[in-house]
This record gives sequence, C-alpha cells and structure tokens, in this order.
Amino acid sequence: MLRLAMLPDCARFVLRIAPADMAAAGQVFGLALPEAIGAVAEADGRLALKLGPDEWRLHAAESDGAEIAARFAAELGTTPHSLVDISHREIGIEVSGTAALDVLTALCPLDLAARPVGSGTRTVFDRVEAVVLRQAENQFRLEVWQSFAPFLYSLLEIVGQEVEAGL
Amino acid sequence: MTGYRVAGRGRVDPDARLRFIFDGRSYEGLHGDTLASALLANGVHFVGRSFKYHRPRGIMSAGVEEANALVGVDRGRGRYTPNTRATVLELYDGLTAESQNYWPSLRYDIGAVNDIAAPLIPAGFYYKTFKWPASFWNKVYEPVIRRSAGLGRAPTAPDADRYASRFAHCDVLIVGAGPAGLAAALTASESGARVILADENPEIGGSLLSDPAVQIDGKDAWNWLEEARATLAGRANVTLLTRTTAIGYYHQNFLGLVQRLTDHLPAAASSLPRERMWKVRAAQVVLAQGAIERPLVFDGNDRPGVMLAGAGRSFLNRYGVKVGNRVAVVTVHDSAYLAAFDLARAGAGVATIVDLRRNPRAALLAEARSLGIEVLSGWTVTATKGRARIAEIRVNPVDQNGKVGAARMIGCDALLMSGGWTPSVHLFSHSKGALDWREDLQAFVPGAPNEAVRCAGAGNGTFGLAAALAEGAAAGAATAGSAGTPTVFSVDGEAPFSGVYFRELPTDRDPTRAKAFIDFQNDVTAKDIRLAVREGFRSIEHVKRYTTNGMATDQGKTSNINGLMIAADAVGKPAPEVGLTTFRPPYTPTTFGAFVGYSRDAHFEVERKTSIDSWAEANGAVFEPVSLWRRAWYFPRSGESMHEAVARECRATRRSLGIFDASTLGKIEVVGPDAAEFMNRMYTNAWTKLAPGRCRYGLLLGEDGFIRDDGVIGRLSDERFHVTTTTGGAARVLATMEDYLQTEWPDLKVWLTSTSEQWAVIALNGPNARKVLEPLVQGIDLNGEAFPHMAVREGKICGVPTRLFRVSFTGELGFEVNVPARFGLSVWKALIEQGRPYDITPYGTETMHALRAEKGFIIVGQDTDGTVTPHDAGMSWAIGKTKPDFVGKRSLARPDMQDPKRKQLVGLLTEKPETVLEEGAQIVDGPYAAVPMPMIGHVTSSYHSETLGRSIALALIQGGHGRKGETVYVPMPGAMHKATITDTVFVDKEGAKLNV
Amino acid sequence: MLLIHCPYCREARPEIEFSYAGEAHIARPADPSVLSDEAWRDFLFIRSNPRGTHYERWRHTHGCARFFNAVRDTVSDKFLMTYEAGRPRPSEAEIEEHRS
Repeated sequence: MLRLAMLPDCARFVLRIAPADMAAAGQVFGLALPEAIGAVAEADGRLALKLGPDEWRLHAAESDGAEIAARFAAELGTTPHSLVDISHREIGIEVSGTAALDVLTALCPLDLAARPVGSGTRTVFDRVEAVVLRQAENQFRLEVWQSFAPFLYSLLEIVGQEVEAGL
Repeated sequence: MTGYRVAGRGRVDPDARLRFIFDGRSYEGLHGDTLASALLANGVHFVGRSFKYHRPRGIMSAGVEEANALVGVDRGRGRYTPNTRATVLELYDGLTAESQNYWPSLRYDIGAVNDIAAPLIPAGFYYKTFKWPASFWNKVYEPVIRRSAGLGRAPTAPDADRYASRFAHCDVLIVGAGPAGLAAALTASESGARVILADENPEIGGSLLSDPAVQIDGKDAWNWLEEARATLAGRANVTLLTRTTAIGYYHQNFLGLVQRLTDHLPAAASSLPRERMWKVRAAQVVLAQGAIERPLVFDGNDRPGVMLAGAGRSFLNRYGVKVGNRVAVVTVHDSAYLAAFDLARAGAGVATIVDLRRNPRAALLAEARSLGIEVLSGWTVTATKGRARIAEIRVNPVDQNGKVGAARMIGCDALLMSGGWTPSVHLFSHSKGALDWREDLQAFVPGAPNEAVRCAGAGNGTFGLAAALAEGAAAGAATAGSAGTPTVFSVDGEAPFSGVYFRELPTDRDPTRAKAFIDFQNDVTAKDIRLAVREGFRSIEHVKRYTTNGMATDQGKTSNINGLMIAADAVGKPAPEVGLTTFRPPYTPTTFGAFVGYSRDAHFEVERKTSIDSWAEANGAVFEPVSLWRRAWYFPRSGESMHEAVARECRATRRSLGIFDASTLGKIEVVGPDAAEFMNRMYTNAWTKLAPGRCRYGLLLGEDGFIRDDGVIGRLSDERFHVTTTTGGAARVLATMEDYLQTEWPDLKVWLTSTSEQWAVIALNGPNARKVLEPLVQGIDLNGEAFPHMAVREGKICGVPTRLFRVSFTGELGFEVNVPARFGLSVWKALIEQGRPYDITPYGTETMHALRAEKGFIIVGQDTDGTVTPHDAGMSWAIGKTKPDFVGKRSLARPDMQDPKRKQLVGLLTEKPETVLEEGAQIVDGPYAAVPMPMIGHVTSSYHSETLGRSIALALIQGGHGRKGETVYVPMPGAMHKATITDTVFVDKEGAKLNV
Repeated sequence: MLLIHCPYCREARPEIEFSYAGEAHIARPADPSVLSDEAWRDFLFIRSNPRGTHYERWRHTHGCARFFNAVRDTVSDKFLMTYEAGRPRPSEAEIEEHRS
C-alpha cells in the first residue's frame, strides 16, 4: 500500500544560530531545539529538525508564520542569528504506507530503512535534493524545492506503480 | 518430439510447446528451453558466421560465455536487440530471431571469401595495410571496411521499452546461486541478516541444474534444490533475484545488478519495465560465480558441432537435448567423461573419447569400457571436417617424446571438448582484489581481497560439489561473524575432478596453416598471438589490443586464458609473470536502457518551471531552456514571426509597459551582524555605506580576478541583504559564498540562505510602470523622490507581502515585484488586468536581452567568458577603490591584467544597418590581411534594435576601449562585414528615462 | 559510488551528497596585497597533485552542507580519514591509525 500526496502549505523557516544560543531560540519558537544533527523535536503543531551544526529547520502552521518571525526579531534581536522564511520555497510530499520505504529507497542511495523514526536529514532522491523526515515506521515526509517537486513526484508515482505491481 | 529431444530429461516442460522463428523458418521448442537448446533439439547447429572470416559457426557453450551463437532478436518496432547469446535467450512463444554477419544468406555468404583470404588479413592487418595511396583511405578502404565490419545490426528506432532502477542495502550480497552460493545464502540468512542472492539464470541451482544424479543430504540434487529454494523464499530477510546479472563491483561493496524482467515473456505481454538496475550497497559480499570451461586449441575447433563438453552435458541434463547422435570427445580433463557417460546413457551414440593425457583415471576408463566408448589416451585431434556441421575428426597418436603419429579419421556429428576450467574471477578483479596463480589448476584464483568479500566454490578454484558447498557455507557463516555456524552438507555420487593444461594441441601438420581459434568471437587464432609476440609485443595488454583477443562482447571469457598461455609460451616466461589483462565491467553485455533507467523523456532532465509558467504557456509563449529552467522566450501573437514578436515586445516596453517573469533569478538572503563586512569581502563594490532601503549593482569575481556573477543587491536592514544572482549562477554563487564563509572567515557572524524559490519576481518596465503599481501596492510610497531608482521597500501588493525593488535592466522606469512564490501567479494576473489601459505586454527573454544590450548591460557568461575583468568590461566603477581586499582584488594588480591590449568590451555598429552579426563571429582588422588573419576579438551579443531601427552588437576586442570610432571587419559565411567600434550604450546614454 | 564519512554528521553517507572542493590546507593569505606576483600565483594555481596521500576539501552539500577535510589515497581512491574544517593537517601516525 502506498499513499503519495502533496501536503498542505505550512510556515517554514531556516534558523541559523550558534549552538550556544539554541536554548534561547527554542524558547522563542516554543519548542526546545534538538541537539543532534538529524534529530527532530515536535509538539503542538511545531517541528524543529537539526540539519547542520548551526542549522535548524522550523515548521509551524501557516497562519503562525508572521508571528514567529516577529517574535524572533523582537525577542532575539541582540543574539546573532538568521531566521529566513522559506515557506514558499518548498513543497511537502507525503510518502506513506507499507510500500513507502521501498519506493523511497529505490531513488535514494542512503539506507533509509536504517534511520530511526523521529529523525530527518537532507539527501538526494534521483537528482533532487530533499529533506526527508521519518515520522512513523511507514510514514515519510519529503520537503522539496517547488520547481523540483513535479519531477520527483512523478518519479515516485512510477516507482510506486512498480512496487505495487509486485516488482 | 524431434530427433534430438530426449524424453524424461531436463527441466523443460514437454507439454508446453512453443513456436519460434529462426532465420524465417518456424520451429518448435519447449517451455524452459533457450533458443540454443531449442535449435539443437531441431538438429540446427549452424547458427551464424564469424566476425572477421565469416566462417560458419555453431553453438559452443550453454551459458553466458557464448562467443559464437549471437543472434538478433526482433520483438517489434524499437525492440530489436543484436548480438544476443542464443544460449541465454529464453524461449517464448513467437520468438523471432535471426543469425548475423552474412550477406546475402547464412549459407551463401560473400564475406566468407575472407576465410580464403585469411593469410592476407592476419592480426593487426588494419594497422599494416590500406596505407597507400593516402587518398584511398577516406574514399575506398574505410567505407568498405566499415560496411563489412561491425557485429550484428544496430537498431535504428528509439528504444520502445522502459527501464527501472533502484538502490538497495543489505548485510550480505551473494552473487551466484550455484551450490556454493546457495550454501552461503542458507547459512548467512539463518541469523536474520538482510541477504540478497542474485543469479543470472532464470532459476537457481547453477551446476546442479546440469548434474541431477548427484545426491545432497540423501536427496536427489533437484529435490534438494527445490527445498533450498523454498527455505530461502520463506525467509523474509532474503531477497532472491533470478535473471539478475552482477555486472560490476565498485568501491566499498557497491555492485550493479541488472535484472531482466520481461525479455523471457511473449513480446506483447507486458507493460512492465524491461530491465531494472539494482545498485546494491552490501556490508559483505560473497562471490560464487563458478567457472567457465576452456576450449581446446586445434585446427578447425570452431566448426559447427564443436562445443564445450560441459555444454553438451547441460543441454542433455538441463534441457533434455542430445547434441548429436554420434558424439566424439576430446579432452585434457576428467569432466568431459561425465558428459560422454551421460550422453551414452541417454542413447546418444558416443564414438570416441580422445584424451591427450597418457594415463586417464582407471575408473573413468572402466566406465567408458562398460558403456562401449573407445578411449584414445595419448592421442590428439589435428583437424575437423564438415561444412555446416562437423562430420569427421582427424586424430593422431602422440608418443612419449611428443612425436605425432599417423592420422586416423573418425566420423561424428558433434565434438565435445574440454581444456579444463577457469574460475570466474571477473567481479573479484573489478573490486581490485589480487589474483594468485594456482599451478595445479593452471589458473588465476582470488587472492588478497580489497573489499569485504569472500569467494567460494569453483570461482575460488575450489572444484567439486562437496568442497564448494562446504566453502560456501563457511563464507556464509563468516559474514555473520562469530555467531555464524556453517551448515554441513553431505554429498554422494560425486565424480573426481582433475585435469592438465595444453596450449595448441600437438599436430603433424604445419601449425602456421592451422585455424586454431582462441577468441571465437573476434576470430583470433593461436598463430595470431604468436605473430604479435614475434612482431615485438611483449605486454599481454599490448598483445590483446594488437590481436583483439578478448576484446569482443564476451570479453574473453573463453579466450583470455588460452591467449595468455600461448603468449607466455611465445615470450618464454611463466604465465603469472606475463599476467592477465584487466577485467572491466560490465561482466556481460548490458543494455544502455539499464544504465539510463528512468532518465529519459520527461525524466531525462529536471525541467524547472516558475509559478507563472502556466500563464505563459496558456498565452502562447515559446520557451527556451536556461540552465534547468524553462523560460518564456517570446510571446508570438497569431501569425507573428519571432522577429516580429520581439520587435513588438520591445516597442511596447519602451513606449508604455512590458511585464516579464524574472522569478528564475538566484536569490540569497545574507543575514547577521557581519553581513555588510561579508558583502565587502565577497563583492567588488563597497557595501558599508549602502543605507537600508537602497540597492546596488554587485559584481562578483573569482580569486583570479575574472567576472563570475552579478546582480542587484538590496539592503533590507543593517543586518539583512537580499542578494540576487544570475539564473544559472545561483547554486554556484551560494556554494562559493559558503566556502569563503565556512573555511576562510568562520569568525564572521553571518548566515546565508537560498531564497531563489521563495520569491516569484515580476519585472515591470516602461514609462507607465508606476501607474500600474500604484493602485495595487499598500504601505509603499511609489513617488519618484520617496522611492528613487535603486531602492527597495517592503510592503504589500494585492494584499500579500512584497519586497519591491526599483531597478531596471531595460533602461526604462522599472520595478521588480518580489512576492512569495505561491502568490506569484495571482499577482501577475492582477498586474496584467491593471495594465490593460496601458497595453501591458508580456515579454520573454529575447526582448529582455535586446533591451539590455541597447543599454550596454552585460550578461555574465555571454559577454564574459571567465577571462574578462571588470576593467575589460568597462565596469571599473563597480570596484570599491578604498577597500583593502575583496575576492579577486589581488589578481587585478597582476601586470597582465592591466595590459592595454587585453580584449575589452565595446559596441559595434555595422556599416549596413540591416546586418545582424553572428554571436561568436571573429573580428579582424582588415579584409586584406594575410591568411591566417590575426583575430582581434569576437562578437558577444548581437540583436536587431527596434528602438534604433538598426542592428547593434557588443564585442570583445583587443585594446577596444582605445579604438572607438575605428573600423573593423567581421568575416561571416558569404560576406565580410564592416563595422565601427563604439561605446557600449546605444540608447539613452545619459539615463534620463530612469529618473522619473 | 563511494561512501564518505562526514565528520559533522558522524556517519558514512553516499558520495552523491558531496562535492569535491580542491586541495586542503591552502589558506587564503590574510593580506593578499603584500604578496609578490609569484607568491599569489602559487596560491591561486599551484597544487601538489601527489600520487598517494592527498589532503583535500569536500562539502557535504546535500547533507549538513559543511565543508570538511579528507585524507584520501589517490592510488586506491580510498578515504583514509575525514576531519572538520579548521583542524590542522593530521599527522602520519593519526592517518595510520585510521588506515587500520
């Protein structure tokens, strides 16, 4: 079984800040930021994924975007950091169901089966860079730049058909 | 049943009859046959002609090593495959195949004259002949050679099939599902490790498929095999891949496997992908590739009906086909006796076994006697006879001193030969494992590995079923570390297995007249190898290339070792000192489709589209590719040519209002307390004093001082810059910036984020641009004084957030409306509506290019080519003179960078206003200079300027800045055009149109 | 496709996520203006190109996006070790330790 779907829009930010200041940033965002690269924190509709030593990706409800940006500007103004709105840069794709892992692995040289639930990373599917979040055993969320999404989505569809045909 | 089918034998299904067509004739075969076994069942041995001499050839093997029986398979339009080995081509109902390398027919081939002319075309003949007269090469020799050369017929229609690919990860990958591979898989998978077992055959079993009489654990081989299959299939941690060839073994246990999915099915049966490439990363690899039998080297060893002894056994036991009714055998190895015995028991008359060895094993002799087979030990084969199929062999005794006695003729309709066995070390060699020479086997076997790999069975030089099973089990257990316990197998009924090695078989005839083939596919004979050595080639790699031995599509599976042994003998060195040629992927011929996978048609390349693209498409845009993007090139109205459309778009923009989708521009947000300092160090320009709300044109150099990129950069606040880059340079510029930031200036507190796709960008240009914006924009005073040229403001447009830039790439009053990408289309449509009173005109990249050229604005990568400095481009004004340093500054001080003779960017006006120069055309000083004329520059941009009603061009010309007003010449096909060097700005030189 | 150990992500990742970025330990001069033309040329263009141990820069472009350094054997293509950008060139002993 495979479910493939474009996800509803949400607010997305790239947060760059020295690890020493991450606690303060977590307070502003309302969610303690994860410490290890690849780790995800998630609560109350907010999500934070650590992608690099000083890089976090933040997700929130679309309607909360403006308020989050304003709070960072107001409350973290004196702490060096960079918060950039990338809500429209990307599109979320849900890949879930018992065939999800097979379908994703077909296009990705990273061993996704070995990555734990509740983790995420940037990697490459076919030729497309994407952030992949493993949200449950058989539930993944891809985040892809808009203009690359149709290409990747149609590849996922093709592979999905093959996997579902028993290949 | 045909005359050669043996009832009750083989794994074919006697009730599943299939029709197939070979060379236009219809035959019957059985499900489970290959084309080769089905043809042999019909008594057909002569199936093709050889590559060089066009000699009749038959089927020499029963597997992937086949060098002779190559056929073209026709599955309909776009599905023709040449050079398919009949021995691995699974039969299906309606299969249509044809033989190759003949004209006009297989039986009467004109090219066969090459065989008679063979003394004239020895090894390397094409290096030696056809040299004179020189003019004959192009006109006569090459066309003739090209027509007669080549293997098979290349398909011309696009491949109608589709192909799949996938990555996979496992703990243990086992290549080869013969006894050793199965033992490894059964053991390795016991622990729950992820195991992939791949085998190129349609079913697992390997040599067991040809050896049903042997017993494992008290069961008949095939029963044991079925149980093993069921056990593996029942384990969730095992992936069993049949029809899957491991084609290459790369670094860190990364292997390519090609799985054939539909070629065995009737042609029209499937919409599935034809093949799938598996790209497997394995923690451990077990190679159990088996061994390939060696042909013997004697005159006429290529005649149809001569085949490897093991193949004769496989055709009988696996396919239920006897290869002849009067079979002769010539061997240096025990294994050939097994074929003879099985055939004799199946009722094929076995005439004679010729054994080069003087003292074959007594048990073999006894069994031969009991079956009524004559054994000539210490004899040799010196010739064969027969046209389309072997009819006689010439045999001679060889005495203890090697003297060859009087000949005797023996009639036969098939000759089985065995020169012993060569372990298949191909994949092990791909992985850069060392090979060791085994004197007892006269063969190379895997030595010290270079990867986490173990070899088992015949491929490791471990012959014999019991030994192979034990070694496979041990390898499988070892992959599980100390936890693994090898499964123990007991074997009954196994025959002994040993032999010796012979180069060319002894003969009483002139060996230089013998056609004793080594490489059957490339028609290389033993004397070709010796000739190469006589001519001075010593390295086996050189001998290989000179003779082409082992260079055919079979890559020398049956010929490399014989070639090496004969070359070593000719050189006078032991074989291991001469060494083996390099094994290279792929292991067997692989379709291009398998490599291409999904990357064709719509998935050949990513095609990026902006959020406004759908509007452009609906409104008739013609598109052009710009890096990965497709961009609207121009918007023709019905009946308009490109020239007319661009002229209209240019006019409209200069006179009233044009609208342009600039979303593809690269964008980088530079944020942090050190943002201005970072910008100072990266770009040539000075940024410290740029006030928030203002923009500046930025020029980015490489450290070598040459222009790399440019773009308008807005300062949104003290600590935040909105940088734009060229469309094609976006990723490169960000990577360059990250490089400097992370590795040279890690102390700077500034961060970079790509926002290229966050923002849709709509450029409005023309005298009426402001009028259209005014009613739609909130929170920004658009008045010319409040919002001057080169300023940026944040506010709203149509109710959504915008970063509004007042910039111009056309020389007209211009704005660039940035809105979050998903709002791009609706804002675009609102602007189109609002612009109707002003005849708002969408324009594409061609108009953008023409309008900017009229203003002398450069396009990086068109007017620059990686050797142009800011000064060359006439942009010294963009350099912050007081800055101590920026990327590329030091290079600008090098003496050659200040040479007044450097190529510099200038304008060109042709003498005839209607002449539009070719971009890239060379420029010379005068029309009468001596040839070759010194080339002083080239045209970089050239357009018809609608504004001026004439052509304009930009060019890089040596010392051009100092040559304004001078005349140069531009040679183009058919004419030498005269042009005057000018300033680069053609329209509105003082920029009055911007200040409104 | 190689597997490359990213010193920031602390795991081996597929080569397709990485980009090569030239020889390592060639620092940009603090003040290029004081360099002779020859010294500047050497900084720009002259590289060691050894047969064997090579110090080189890579970027985990499609992962954590960090630049880092690597020691690679140009004969075998094997990565001997990787380490964070800014760390000094590892000693022979350190490399040997990783080799085993």
